[in-house]
Amino acid sequence: MSIKTSSPPKIRKPFEFAHDRSQQLKDDKFETEPIGFFEDAMLRFVKNKASIVAFWLIAFIVLMSFIGPYMNEYGYKDQNVTINYMPSRVPGLERLGILDGSKVRRVRYSSIAEKYQESLIEIVREYEISGVRMADIRFNDYIYRGIADKYYFFGTDALGRDLWTRLWRGVRISLLIALIAMSVNIFIGVVYGAICGYYGGTVDIVMQRFIEILGGVPTIVVMILFILYYGSGILPIALALCLKGWIGMSRMIRAQFYKYKRMEYVLASRTLGAKDLTLIFRHILPNAIGVLITMAALAIPRAIFQESFLAYLGLGIQAPEPSIGILLAEGQKVLIDHPHLTLFPAILISTLMISFNLLGNGLRDAFDPTLRGIE
Amino acid sequence: MRLTQHSGVLNNGEVDEMSEYAIEVNNIYVTFNTYSGKVHAVRGISFKVRQGETLAIVGESGSGKSVTAKTIMGILSKNANIEQGSVMYQGRDLLTYSDDQMSAIRGSEIGMIFQDPMSSLNPVMKIGKQITEALRLKQKMSKTAAKDKALQLMKDVGIDQVEKRYNQYPFQFSGGMRQRIVIAVTLACNPRVLICDEPTTALDVTVQSKILELIKELQRKRNMAVIYITHDLGVVANVADTVAVLYAGRIVERGSVEDIFYNPKSPYAMALLASMPDLETDTQRELYAIPGTPPNMLFPPQGDAFASRNQFALNIDFAEQPPEFNVSKSHVVSTWLMHPDAPEVVPSDFVNRHVASQDANYSKSAHIDYQEKVLQVKSLKQYFTSGIGKNRLTVKAVDDISFDIFRGETFGLVGESGCGKTTTGRAIIRLYEPTAGTVIFNGRNLALKMKDRERREATRGIEMIFQDPITSLNPRMTVKEIIGEGLRINKLCQSEDEMMEMIYSILDVVGLTKEHATRYPHEFSGGQRQRIGVARALVTNPELIIADEPVSALDVSVQAQVLNLMNSIKKKLGLTILFIAHDLSVVKYFSDRIGVMYYGKLVEVAEAEELYRNPLHPYTISLLSAIPHPNPKYEKTRKLIKYDPKMHDYGDKNVSFTEIKPGHFIRCSNEELHQYLAKIK
Repeated sequence: MSIKTSSPPKIRKPFEFAHDRSQQLKDDKFETEPIGFFEDAMLRFVKNKASIVAFWLIAFIVLMSFIGPYMNEYGYKDQNVTINYMPSRVPGLERLGILDGSKVRRVRYSSIAEKYQESLIEIVREYEISGVRMADIRFNDYIYRGIADKYYFFGTDALGRDLWTRLWRGVRISLLIALIAMSVNIFIGVVYGAICGYYGGTVDIVMQRFIEILGGVPTIVVMILFILYYGSGILPIALALCLKGWIGMSRMIRAQFYKYKRMEYVLASRTLGAKDLTLIFRHILPNAIGVLITMAALAIPRAIFQESFLAYLGLGIQAPEPSIGILLAEGQKVLIDHPHLTLFPAILISTLMISFNLLGNGLRDAFDPTLRGIE
Repeated sequence: MRLTQHSGVLNNGEVDEMSEYAIEVNNIYVTFNTYSGKVHAVRGISFKVRQGETLAIVGESGSGKSVTAKTIMGILSKNANIEQGSVMYQGRDLLTYSDDQMSAIRGSEIGMIFQDPMSSLNPVMKIGKQITEALRLKQKMSKTAAKDKALQLMKDVGIDQVEKRYNQYPFQFSGGMRQRIVIAVTLACNPRVLICDEPTTALDVTVQSKILELIKELQRKRNMAVIYITHDLGVVANVADTVAVLYAGRIVERGSVEDIFYNPKSPYAMALLASMPDLETDTQRELYAIPGTPPNMLFPPQGDAFASRNQFALNIDFAEQPPEFNVSKSHVVSTWLMHPDAPEVVPSDFVNRHVASQDANYSKSAHIDYQEKVLQVKSLKQYFTSGIGKNRLTVKAVDDISFDIFRGETFGLVGESGCGKTTTGRAIIRLYEPTAGTVIFNGRNLALKMKDRERREATRGIEMIFQDPITSLNPRMTVKEIIGEGLRINKLCQSEDEMMEMIYSILDVVGLTKEHATRYPHEFSGGQRQRIGVARALVTNPELIIADEPVSALDVSVQAQVLNLMNSIKKKLGLTILFIAHDLSVVKYFSDRIGVMYYGKLVEVAEAEELYRNPLHPYTISLLSAIPHPNPKYEKTRKLIKYDPKMHDYGDKNVSFTEIKPGHFIRCSNEELHQYLAKIK
């Protein structure tokens, strides 16, 4: 027998039994606080930096969609064609030379002195066309049009309406449409998917065939017909997005039901005498909630995108009401000359889409049951 | 073969005193990065395996045995870090190899067999192709040569009609056959070291026996070094030459198989051996249950990891890691008990204490009232059909079985997977609608067509305990809600307070405390979860409990806790239990009478002791012979008696379920009856 430690450590009576031998050992006490499902998911969610950033971005955009339109004195439908296509001008930033309300324009060299005396910033290039001396000049449009004291943050559109106001209002409307579409989709999808998944068998076969037939109908055609028939309000557009939008959701929920209804705890509850509704709402659906929330988060940017697409086709919401899609559709007509009209809505919609996708991914990871309990 | 020999010669020529070991693992330490921190999965494991030797690594789930194997193979997941140590193979450290170098070693030098034969084969690839793939890729064999080799391999692993089988797909093979194919695939490149990671855990005992024999035979023929990873001490006793017992990422004891089984020195090995029921276990005795649960490897304990569960832990165990003590040349143990100053603890301490603490007049069958039948099952049939018209398929999951259960009795139902034992349980509690037959419970026939409400009423009084501690509890509900559900649904309590009262008292019965009530299932260990499952079944005060494999998903050390708990509750409450399991030793320990099922039919029913001593039906005999005992001496001589189902292809003959002697029933034809009768005389 060899002993490797030369000096036994200094512990009081190291070689005596630590436990009272007559006493049974008990289960370990929990050292942690009880933690519920959502708290647990939350813990994991906050560890995902990208999702947190996305979440705050979305929160900011939603907030702005409410207060943005009231941050200046211009209404979303106040027209003034004399100040159309104003470039964007932001106080503070203009000193840095960006968003300073300047524009580049090709003019006769001679007119510089006549018209652009005050507003001229610099002459970019001089050249001759057919013997006429021309110049590309950068000038301050606000001074040029005599409204040097005004600031249109994002510029104005063809009718001189303030883009800032219209954009935030548009975001609000787009989000509203997306929200309605998503809620309806989830509602129909959950009910339909739950029935398919829970009862299975013949019911499932018939209901799935119906979905397949519906899935075969071209989306754009039904949406266009629907909007043409019901007019282009917020609700008709939102509902048009639901015509086929719930199919994906219902398939997902059906799969979840198939998965969870075979779980032993569902059987256990059944042996205790639970009714179908108890099983569905107490045992199966709550377990699918993670998937549901994730799907919802991912459904919103899809709806926004589809709404923009419809607006682009000319099926957008009724003028003068703006939406992101409408603004984009208007902006792209004058993309070369007045890029600001496309740029700001495009940045916003991109940010929204990316944020919602990142948020959705973060939620999916947070609700992933395989990661549960590791904490 | 040729290749191996060649490389062997080369090595001997190059390095004279090349180590005699096929593989040496030196002090490896592996951690995993997880969301919550670093998990210390393996904390300094060393062992050596000689050519032609089998080392069994045994431990509970989470003890780091699979991680060790994966480290050797270089197939650890991305979040793993090998903090230190080396794996020496032919004089070189495998841990320093690049991925490409490793993939040359993998398969051709070191082969690995995984647990699940269902998922280790590609379902859309022909068997032959899967075997020859490695040969063609790694050894650049020609197609015909590879095929010849593959056919030979298939013969070696005991598959007949190899030519025909060669062109079949995995789904055309049974579980055991697939595992044979997996072995053939692994052996295709003549590995010198074979790592088996629980290769038989997913298989039935009779199949397991055959696979174990096959691996042993192949090892003898090829002189491979085998590292066998398992949690089953019976399997260890069967296959191992040397054994390493793992606990919490460390080897607590290492030695020859005889050392470990007959002369264990570490408290963990002693406790583990004491907690396993085998067929010889005195059923009057409570099992030794290791209390508590394995430590959380996020925060590995400072001293001996087992100390908190060890009744004989010394003060020093909590403070300092025990060093290794050599008991003999081959036997190394890591426990402070070996220190000269330490008191002596012998294996029987773990057993004796519990016999002494028991109720003296407890006897297994004392509570049975043979006058009153709680459940009568008569010619119960449960068929499942699928498809319509010509494609209609009928599976006879349960085909005409009959048995009675008396008040206070535990009736065990054993059989291999797919024999219909679970279906029987579920048909009785009406999770399925029985095709035919009667099930009389409380004077009502449960097998009739009934409305939902009627069914609920009729089956009240039967509760079920499920197999899987993970899926049998709703992760979204607190323990309180889970247990209270039955009370609420059946309106067994008047007020919320009364319900809480009942929940607390039942928690106390299953050894949990009030503070556990507000917790969610994922915070509990497997054994605790299973106890919650037991509590859920008990709270409605049922007359009959159907326990469907209640311990088969649990670790050995935890299994005993649950079995003891069920045993004591049974005694206390006078419960009647239908105990369904595939593990005959557990069933025999726990049940008063046992029914053996085979392909939907009950082939033999007898008292537990009688069935074990005098089995009559060939299938029962085969089943009994297949169970590995945690006893190396017995295992060395154990012979598997094969059962050929063809002998019971009765055709038109009249088959009946006959009482051959009091209490012993057997399914047989008339002629067989005479044979059996002659045998018992």
